[in-house]
Amino acid sequence: MIRLFTGIVCIFISSLSFAASGSIPLKPVLIDLNNKGSLQRGAQIYVNNCLGCHTLKYQRYVKFIDHLSLSKEAIENNLIFTTDKNGQPTKIGSLILNSVNPDSAKEAFGVMPPDLTLIARSRGPEWLYTFLTSFYKDETRPLGVNNALYPNVSMPHVLSWMEGLKQPVNLEKDQYEYVVEGTMTDKEYKKSITDLVNFLAYVSEPAQLDRYRIGFWVILFLAIFSFIAFLLKIEYWKDVK
Amino acid sequence: MSKLMVWIDKRLPVSNFVKNHLSQYYAPKNFNFFYYFGALAIFIFILQIVTGIFLTINYKPDAAQAFASVEYIMRDVEWGWLIRYMHSTGSSFFFIVIYLHMFRAMLYGSYKNPRELLWLFGMVIFVLLMAEAFMGYLLPWGQMSYWGAQVIISLFSAIPYVGESLALWIRGDYVISDATLNRFFAFHVIALPLLLFALIYLHLAALHTTGSNNPDGIEIKENKDENGIPRDGIPFHPYYTVKDIFGLSVFLIIFAFVIFFMPELGGFFLEKDNFVPADPLKTPEHIMPVWYFTPFYAILRAIPDKLGGVLAMGLAIFVLFFMPWIDRCTTKSIRYRSTTYKVLLTSFVISFFALGYIGMSAATPLLTWIGRFFTLVYFGFFVALYFTSVNEKTKDVPDRVTMHD
Repeated sequence: MIRLFTGIVCIFISSLSFAASGSIPLKPVLIDLNNKGSLQRGAQIYVNNCLGCHTLKYQRYVKFIDHLSLSKEAIENNLIFTTDKNGQPTKIGSLILNSVNPDSAKEAFGVMPPDLTLIARSRGPEWLYTFLTSFYKDETRPLGVNNALYPNVSMPHVLSWMEGLKQPVNLEKDQYEYVVEGTMTDKEYKKSITDLVNFLAYVSEPAQLDRYRIGFWVILFLAIFSFIAFLLKIEYWKDVK
Repeated sequence: MSKLMVWIDKRLPVSNFVKNHLSQYYAPKNFNFFYYFGALAIFIFILQIVTGIFLTINYKPDAAQAFASVEYIMRDVEWGWLIRYMHSTGSSFFFIVIYLHMFRAMLYGSYKNPRELLWLFGMVIFVLLMAEAFMGYLLPWGQMSYWGAQVIISLFSAIPYVGESLALWIRGDYVISDATLNRFFAFHVIALPLLLFALIYLHLAALHTTGSNNPDGIEIKENKDENGIPRDGIPFHPYYTVKDIFGLSVFLIIFAFVIFFMPELGGFFLEKDNFVPADPLKTPEHIMPVWYFTPFYAILRAIPDKLGGVLAMGLAIFVLFFMPWIDRCTTKSIRYRSTTYKVLLTSFVISFFALGYIGMSAATPLLTWIGRFFTLVYFGFFVALYFTSVNEKTKDVPDRVTMHD
């Protein structure tokens, strides 16, 4: 019941949100923070492919124990690849950082790759999903790829090993053909991106896991309280003519 | 009475206070829906103070740490997200409640003789509240915090001769910076709340001197029984305390719904751009103030001249102070006033909403012209009211209040 309610609210909220206008329409993505498997796969994709450049500097690994239903060992063995300043493996209570040097990042990409902790709140999940599925081959760009949603973005198509590389067959850039095959089918890739976006939606506001659940009971309590308060008011006001 | 109460009353007039202001304070018995918002405003004020104290325990007023400390509150502080959402949602609800509270005064002529001072204190509270909200909005140090403050403070520089120095003096720097953040923190958490507290005290003292107005606009003190008790009055406690508890609990349902299910309210309460840390080198595409300032912001943008815009915006707020003297009709309540007043007030409300919408939209030539039209309607309300209210045709006001529920 609560889950269903939460789901309805989620859909309602995503229909309210509209991201900054891009060059192509945003594609819908279903966010389901109750799907722990999806969040775990998303975390895996993130640390393997994104964390090298993009930190999650407001989030701590240790939160994954409760939020992603992972054991301490699973996190330490599969999600933490960095070391602290003493050369020891990063502690589980640490923030999720990397060792990118801002100067060399600027030299390589022109900008420092942004932190992505809150990207799903500032851009919206639909924007992220559309962005990550809109890379295409473009030899005129320094890195050989471009993005239909965010033209001339400095980011390379990091996930091309999964997706392959496509190029547009028309000027509207709404139809593509693959010129390089990836390890995944189109459907598998979209599912993986959904998992990744789902994970980023969670990281952007872990409180979502609590607030929908608690909110239901708070409002139920207040509804009962209001009813009793109403009866009390009626009772007292009987003698006001 | 218990021995303890006797002992205390000899030293501090507690029982007298409770009598004078609660159990034997007589309020008109015909309050309607609009009379919940005064009590609700006090509730939110206290809520903002209490949640604010908890936020300052973990917040860092430092340009390098402010944004991260807010995220720390949202993630690592136990129940920090709830406290923060209560505070951020509370600020928007404060304005909803205050706007309805002020609208009530316009409906029933509550600013009229003998309640002019009450209205003036209320107006000062409104202006202080806008300053309080504006300064609080800088503290999360997001992009919209930063650029919103940049735009608003730069308005002061439009003032001839002293403008630039004045803006510099407010910011403490040539741009919004760490110095600005620190002073805004000081104003937001102590200076303005103290002033607000004092003004709310005066507002209530003035209210309890004249007594409340009511939807019929009848002075209940003019019709007392043999014991000196107003015939249309009922003791505030328990009648209105129990009624306000009901009103508060319904309010809390709506409030909790926003906190738990839509704290951003689609970008109205928490703007998307404010989840990006402040960056002095990157201007957001579309800078807009939070919704409660947008009617005044639209008036600012409607005037093609910067100084003119600033003056018009200031005047839009300033003119409200003079309501008791602009509205010269002696009949208080809209129930017994002319159709002219009803039409004027309706067009004022429509212009307020329209300006609010225009103020939050990207400026297009068409919208700017519509904004100019509604700016005229906004100011036209006061001009027309001044001239039509002096000889207004009103209906007969009954001697006793009427009950509608």
